Amino acid sequence: MKVDLLQMVEYGGCSAKISPKLLEEILKYLPLPKDPNILVDIDTHDDAGVYRVNDQLALVLTTDFFPPVCSDPYEFGQIAAANSISDVYAMGGDPVLALNIMMFPAAKLPMEAYAEILKGGFDKATEAGVRIIGGHTIDDDPPKYGLAVVGYIHPEKIITNAGARAGDHLILTKPIGTGIIMAGQRLKMADEADIDEAKRLMKLLNKSGAEVMKKYKLKGATDVTGFGLAGHALKMAMASKVSIKIDMKKVPLIGNVYKLIDEGCIPGASFRNLDFVEEHLQTVSDLDYNLKMIAFDAQTSGGLLMSVPADIVQEVLSDLHSAGLSASTDIGIVIEKSDKFLFLGN
Amino acid sequence: MRIVDTKGQLCPEPLIATKRALKETAVGESFIVLTDNLTSFNNVSRFLRDNNTAYKFSEYGGIWTLTVTKVSGEMINSKAEEYYTPEVAHFEKGDFVIVFSSDKMGDGDESLGLLLIGNFIKALKDLDKLPAKIVFYNKGVKLVTNTSPVIENLKDLEKMGVELLCCATCVNHYKLESVVGAGTLSNMYAIADAMAKAGSVIKP
Repeated sequence: MKVDLLQMVEYGGCSAKISPKLLEEILKYLPLPKDPNILVDIDTHDDAGVYRVNDQLALVLTTDFFPPVCSDPYEFGQIAAANSISDVYAMGGDPVLALNIMMFPAAKLPMEAYAEILKGGFDKATEAGVRIIGGHTIDDDPPKYGLAVVGYIHPEKIITNAGARAGDHLILTKPIGTGIIMAGQRLKMADEADIDEAKRLMKLLNKSGAEVMKKYKLKGATDVTGFGLAGHALKMAMASKVSIKIDMKKVPLIGNVYKLIDEGCIPGASFRNLDFVEEHLQTVSDLDYNLKMIAFDAQTSGGLLMSVPADIVQEVLSDLHSAGLSASTDIGIVIEKSDKFLFLGN
Repeated sequence: MRIVDTKGQLCPEPLIATKRALKETAVGESFIVLTDNLTSFNNVSRFLRDNNTAYKFSEYGGIWTLTVTKVSGEMINSKAEEYYTPEVAHFEKGDFVIVFSSDKMGDGDESLGLLLIGNFIKALKDLDKLPAKIVFYNKGVKLVTNTSPVIENLKDLEKMGVELLCCATCVNHYKLESVVGAGTLSNMYAIADAMAKAGSVIKP
């Protein structure tokens, strides 16, 4: 039996995240624990929590899981694992250990598919140097998979959302469009070549990008996932108390993503993200509507968005290109906090 | 009036159907969109508002009816044609091949020759177009060994998609088999073929 996971879901990957607006309202009622060893928590909208063990070592903790983004179970496992581990890379940490989190409809799908998902996750974790030492499975439909990951980091070398400074440039390391392409794939509108490229990008670990960040001792970065480029840029601007200007024309896109969105293929998650960002957003009056909506496309296992001091932008870009992240582009700038947190221009 | 029935469809299908209908409708004319999904209704409405399109709606028994009127021929402020080939930063390859037959550049002082070839290789990355292939033969193969001062630069070029062809006979002759750090070992046919197919062959 050939398994097609994609037929089981409406929203795949990070598109299935709960609305950021809702989440923000709910989290207000959840008290944050007070402990001087908690170095990073959700207060700064960060990718992972960081807990100091001693002066040399802190732990980075993160978890992520989601419904299928592609038809093939093995590829889904790889993508989910790359996405889960990415949060550790975004903080500048080294991922070390992980646990599987799985929801699987045992009555609906063959057990081979279950094994294939886990195998994909295992292989991707191994590539990242992560040992999976356990996990937990619930019988549930549709399937969902991801990892809870623990990483190591030096307590003074944490890269956070709060580290962007006025004058920095913003570099994005992967092209945008996985949400649009996945929606287009379900409707048979997306090109095969673009689907393959999107899958390749989603499987690609953010490891090499993180190494470049560490080499240049960058302070501010995040990975672009479910809240879209605009949503994550906004979280960075808020945490850093600055404003961010993105030049949408410079944002690298996967293949024919622009054409797809021009045909109206705007996933539901994009409107959720727009709702969340809107009150903090100003766009130039003639901003292309398609480019605007691309900024809200939910990415699965998206690239790193780094805040880079202006004098080293060229070197960082050159290193990222050499590391095989050939789409890496300088897409915007950080400015002093102004009346809006985020500006999108043509 | 034309009816676009999207009942039973999930995002973004109703939006795609609406946009298609909008394109096919003449200015001043109207059409109806039906949806039974609240999210789709919200998203289609939002899209219409964002694009200055007039619409009215009603809801009955969980089905939303949107009456959409096209008010302008200039439907959406998009410049589609400008973006069909987005400017993605990438490495363009030329059709030229570079050949290294020595680990030094030019005749004369040996240390100068080493320095020059190093600078030449480092500069390749910054050319408008990268070489299609780089060929190493005779003493040129020493450039691709692990102790070569330019090995990291050559690895970078390889990662950027430039194929490095190293003459296997030469590697064996100089007994470098265990220290080759980049490229692929090739026979003379592959090397001759690469040079024959090149638009130009550069020998520094």
